[in-house]
Amino acid sequence: MDFVCNFPFISIILSLFSGPLCSILPGKWAKRVNGIVIIVVGILSAFVLAYVTGTGEAFIYRMGHFPAPWGNEIRIGVLEAFMGLFFCVIMLLCMVAGVREREAQIEESKQNLYYVMVNLLLCSLLALIYTNDLFTAYVFVEINTISACGLIMIRQNGRTIEAATRYMIMSLLGSGLLLLGICFLYDLTGHLLMSNIKEQVHILAQTGQYHIPLMVSVGLISVGLAMKSALYPFHAWLPDAYGYSTLSSAAILSSLVSKGYIFLLIKVFYRVVGFEILTGSKVANVLFVFGIVGMIMGSINAIQEEQITRMIAYSSVAQIGYIYMGIGLATQEGMVASIYHVISHGATKSLLFVAASGLAAASAGRTSRELVGSGYRNKLAGIAFTVGSLSMVGMPMFSGFISKLFFAQAAVGHAHKMLPTFIALAISTVLNAAYFMKMVICIYSPRYGGDTTGENTIVGRVVFMKEQPVKSVALICFIVLNVVLGLNSEPIIRLIQKGLAMFG
Amino acid sequence: MLIVVILPLFAGILMPMLPFRTRKAMLVYLETVVSINSLLVLLLLLYMPEGTLTLFRFTGNLSVTFRLDGMGAVFAGMAAVLWPLAMLYSFEYMKHEDNEGSFFLFYVVTYGVTMGIALAENILTMYFFFEMLSLVTLPLVLHTRTREAILAARSYLYYMLGGAAFAFIGMVFILVYGTTSSFVAGGVLNMAGIGEKSDMLLLIYVLCFCGFSVKTAMWPFSSWLPKAGVAPTPVTALLHAVAVVNTGAFATMRVTYFSFGTELLRGTWAQKVVMVPVIFTIVYGCSRAVKETHLKRRLAWSTISNLSYILFGVVLMTPLGLVGAMAHMLFHSFMKICSFFCVGAVIYQTSKHYVQEIDGFGWRMPKIFCCFTVSAFALMGVPGLCGFVSKWNLAKAAVDSEMPLAYVGIAALMVSALLTAIYMMDIVIRAFCPVKGSDAVDDKNVKDANWKMWVPLAVFVAVMFYFGLHSGPVMELLEGMIY
Amino acid sequence: MQGLLLISIGLPAVAGILLLVLAFSEHLRAVGGTGVKHMRLYLFVSVMLVASVLLATTAAWTGDNSVVLFRLIESIPVYFRVDEVGRFFITIVSVIWLAVGLYSVPYMKHEGGEKRYYGFFLLSYGVLTGFVYAGNLITMYLFYELITLVSMPLVLHNGTREAVTAARKYLFYSLCGAYGGLFGIFFLYRYCGSLDFMMGGTLDAAAVRGHEGILLMVVFVMLMGFGVKAGMLPFHAWLPAAHSVAPSPASAMLSAVIVKAGVIAIVRVVFYVIGTDFLRGTWVQYLWMTLALLTVFMGSMLAYRERGFKKRLAYSTVSQVSYILYGLSLLTSEAMAGALFHVAAHGLIKCGLFLTAGVFLYRFGYTRVEELEGLGKEMPKVMWCYTLFALGLVGIPPTCGFISKWYLAQGSLHSEIPVFSWLGPVVLLVSALLTAGYLLPITIKGFFPGEEKSRENRKVHSGEEVCQGKEIASSMLIPLLVLAVLVLVLGIFPITLFK
Repeated sequence: MDFVCNFPFISIILSLFSGPLCSILPGKWAKRVNGIVIIVVGILSAFVLAYVTGTGEAFIYRMGHFPAPWGNEIRIGVLEAFMGLFFCVIMLLCMVAGVREREAQIEESKQNLYYVMVNLLLCSLLALIYTNDLFTAYVFVEINTISACGLIMIRQNGRTIEAATRYMIMSLLGSGLLLLGICFLYDLTGHLLMSNIKEQVHILAQTGQYHIPLMVSVGLISVGLAMKSALYPFHAWLPDAYGYSTLSSAAILSSLVSKGYIFLLIKVFYRVVGFEILTGSKVANVLFVFGIVGMIMGSINAIQEEQITRMIAYSSVAQIGYIYMGIGLATQEGMVASIYHVISHGATKSLLFVAASGLAAASAGRTSRELVGSGYRNKLAGIAFTVGSLSMVGMPMFSGFISKLFFAQAAVGHAHKMLPTFIALAISTVLNAAYFMKMVICIYSPRYGGDTTGENTIVGRVVFMKEQPVKSVALICFIVLNVVLGLNSEPIIRLIQKGLAMFG
Repeated sequence: MLIVVILPLFAGILMPMLPFRTRKAMLVYLETVVSINSLLVLLLLLYMPEGTLTLFRFTGNLSVTFRLDGMGAVFAGMAAVLWPLAMLYSFEYMKHEDNEGSFFLFYVVTYGVTMGIALAENILTMYFFFEMLSLVTLPLVLHTRTREAILAARSYLYYMLGGAAFAFIGMVFILVYGTTSSFVAGGVLNMAGIGEKSDMLLLIYVLCFCGFSVKTAMWPFSSWLPKAGVAPTPVTALLHAVAVVNTGAFATMRVTYFSFGTELLRGTWAQKVVMVPVIFTIVYGCSRAVKETHLKRRLAWSTISNLSYILFGVVLMTPLGLVGAMAHMLFHSFMKICSFFCVGAVIYQTSKHYVQEIDGFGWRMPKIFCCFTVSAFALMGVPGLCGFVSKWNLAKAAVDSEMPLAYVGIAALMVSALLTAIYMMDIVIRAFCPVKGSDAVDDKNVKDANWKMWVPLAVFVAVMFYFGLHSGPVMELLEGMIY
Repeated sequence: MQGLLLISIGLPAVAGILLLVLAFSEHLRAVGGTGVKHMRLYLFVSVMLVASVLLATTAAWTGDNSVVLFRLIESIPVYFRVDEVGRFFITIVSVIWLAVGLYSVPYMKHEGGEKRYYGFFLLSYGVLTGFVYAGNLITMYLFYELITLVSMPLVLHNGTREAVTAARKYLFYSLCGAYGGLFGIFFLYRYCGSLDFMMGGTLDAAAVRGHEGILLMVVFVMLMGFGVKAGMLPFHAWLPAAHSVAPSPASAMLSAVIVKAGVIAIVRVVFYVIGTDFLRGTWVQYLWMTLALLTVFMGSMLAYRERGFKKRLAYSTVSQVSYILYGLSLLTSEAMAGALFHVAAHGLIKCGLFLTAGVFLYRFGYTRVEELEGLGKEMPKVMWCYTLFALGLVGIPPTCGFISKWYLAQGSLHSEIPVFSWLGPVVLLVSALLTAGYLLPITIKGFFPGEEKSRENRKVHSGEEVCQGKEIASSMLIPLLVLAVLVLVLGIFPITLFK
């Protein structure tokens, strides 16, 4: 076994232990340690990715070299490694971009705590991605929930506490269902390790035994994870949590945390349940329907929203709907599209959050009325927001278009789901355009609605790029990332396909 | 080939970065860029290079690729002739408006994007530029930044993106079921792969057609166009009477004849379903134009009707229909841009926007109104002007198709011609023969426009006469490109 | 010889355009008095008019010419050819134009805007020449539209609100008709061997088979379309409005000639493109006849009711032109001859009538029928001319109106079409009675007003300087006399025309 194989484990441990370390360091040092950890983890993941791509097959790393069923395994394929890398990049950019806001919005004494939470979050995300053990997964899901709660709550105003409470309740409900599902599976198969469960499930499926309990457990796991990733009817916690927390929290939560769960769900489908069984079951249909409803309802809610961050948050609900729709198609292409959308949405949504905060910084507030003309005051943020919006709307050249294209291509030829998918895509595109482009037009109009009476004189100041070098760099990186994803999606798609193949 | 797309794009983007000391320097720069580009396009048309050129690949076999074929050549040539002239006109017109810089930036960029559509080799490239076009023209609609403009821009955008969303469905379908994504005359669908699902296919076609025809403002997707009239006249004239809306028509042609294939569609319910709104729009647009008293909006409604002539030719789904449609696309561009520029000149010189305000102006601005009269005659389809030629071809194709619905279409053409006469001649009569005693007649302040404005107009008039009297070569060209 | 044909069309057109350009530049420079230039203007117009008339008639009578000007669309040339109908029609047009041209000199001096008027006057002559020489449907359609466009300014010449409204009405009705015609042309292009005019038609029997129904429908639309210009029934409303507000010489041209353009167009379509055989005995023929007869009757009735003099004449035109249409609808050569003769007869008579109406208007400003009482004593010559024209229109021998009506009735009786063969003459007769009823009382009252109307009550409206104590200026009287003589001569020696 090569040395590189240790890297995933090292990175989990590294981020896990840097957490407590941060709590005892002074604030500034905590920040640095946190940054370094993310970078190191990212580099490690890149090595792993290179390695796995080189060998061409997934490897299994046994902690302490105990064989199953006693030992704990992590399993790394191309996709896992890539996700690790991608999450690190996004997280780093989000953290960098949100420095100023964090310092302004979080009490001095709690700065350390924030970095503890971020490190724990990273650790749990990595573990969710890498693990080959359902129970480990559950454990880290919980850690993830707790640290996410902390991230929301750390900016202390009434709203965030309420939001965190909501998030807690919904999340724990989700975790509970997940746990139930895992218990059922364990009961049915006698294993916790994914590979072993799959063998057993396969046998069960062939003999036709325990069909209903099996389906119930799949359903429970799906619903639990869907709840945690804010699929439509379970999204109530999301707008407040994203809308009022500090910038880097919002960006990380929206682009990473929910995606971690989705990734886990896909992994469960492939590695635990088996794709054939999923295709045969009705769980996929349920997810499909909720995905479509989410796409449309999320956008409708977003249209009604005046405040920019909440609007973006609602848009997340819609985008998660896309992802579940892709999963719900229950085809290989659908999965590819969904995973691509996980990536593209992750990149875009964090971009939008950062840009929105830039715009808000140049204005008196965050409602569309106050943001009028802010695109002129903060040019870079304006451009970034436009790019993000266009990507969300699905303009060619940006990442959103590619995922839309893949969703549609995946749907073509599907017996029953083709038309609903098409129509939902079309409607949701229009709706997306309705609120995103409205906002873009708004930030580029000099006066509110041509009102020249001066009643609505804009309060705001010009923000230059040089003023916030770090944030500007982060924004530029995001834009570049988006365009690269949009123009050169080929390698990533191939990587995803390879990764999915390795799942099996 | 790539240059003609890229050059205006970059020239436009570079513009804010170049330090222009005077307005004149900027104008010279712009006109040079546009003229050079037009020359390049015309050179291209002269040599008609074979082969394709791939800019980059999105993924797999989806690439942005250019190729020049007959239909694209016609479209590109048209744009290449119109752009420098429109540019010249707008130099004068935009004197009165703020923010010239950003205006010209997007105006030039749009040129590049339009070329991209004309030269697109496959459906993805076309879609790509199609979307780009909606975006780069948005700031032009938004230009004045009044409340009205903002609302117009919003509805413009929603319609455009909504249309694109439906067009997208068709595109994906072709990508999956087509043997290739390129445009091939006769269609690319792989019939074996479709099998029993032909009804589904037709439905997709209908959706796709509607999607693209949003840009041509077919009823019921037509309300954005009159609203977009708040933009400065060069925009309304060149983009919303010619470039943008014609790309919609162009796209429907591509999709109908080169992707789905007419063999498959002719005589099906899908053809009828799309033909009905097209025919309705022909009459509807005209009748709204008659009702409208705002000059530019009246012309906008007229555009809606005329664009549906083109679509009518397209949905006949015969080669002749395509010839007629192309001819009308070409000729209508000249007619409509001419009438729009005339109206623009009136607005520029006198700030009058409504029909009832122009009594007697014909005698004060004879050049402008003579040009307007010619364009009115052309739109009405008086023989000897180009409008008649295209109308003739459309009607001929419709008669040959022997579909009862197509006969109704011819009747619609005639009704629309009559309505056109009503709303256009109304203006002409008012301008030249004011009712006695109206005060506007002797307004000495009303003067004819200067050369930058009427030279383009004179060129358009000459072109209208030329095509009207000597349509042989151009029609042969169009036919040659189809068969 | 081919050049001659083109020049005869081009010369008046170019001259007209020249005048219009002059009018424009004059307006721009805002030159006030144009009195000095009048002589030059008249010289120019008269030379041009005489030259074009000479050219046109020589072109007409020097044999069958044909020339292809250029190709509008590859398959459709703009093609001119001289044939019998053209020859016949251009002669009438020339006579009327010369008469009206002479008459206009004093009349238009009073109305003003002469350059514009003469510009369109010459232009319409050129366009009409083109129209009658047209060798195929498309060329004809081209000039048909142009006729509408160049004659419309004549209607709105005096620029009152009423005139503008009337002109619009005229324009839109005419265009509506023209588009109806164009609609048909599209179809005929498909079903006919060629669109060139050929006696007996060029219908391609093989192509038509199975499409008779649609073709009949199309022909009907065309008839209705061209019928608009001829004032056929449902679409006659524009005619009284337009003809009554135009300056009188212009009304004379419109009523005498321009409405006949519709007739000629129908002749061309029915006899030269489709062919009578296709239509004979179909519902189209019956409907056409019914409409024509109805128009004959209704036109007379409306004229009878009308009190405005020019408007009455205009309604009379509605009725009289439908005589011609009825003659055509019979689809026999005899009736057609009668119809064409009526084209000439009505043209001369109606021109004369409108010119007399113009005299009254010009001298006294009279527009209503009642006002004309007792005028016979002051203007005996004019009144006698009027009487002669009126008798001609009623159809009393030895005027030419009698000859045409005779042939029409004969044609109808010989046509062996059930009901219509006898109903037609009856309606014609009734209408003739009505015509007598609305025209002759003016003569009677003119010479024998009930109570003596004193001369002092009349206020001379205008034209004092040219009349110089005479009844009326000679340049206005001569055309009237010439027309009156022609009406009589044609009535006595009709053979000349029947060749």
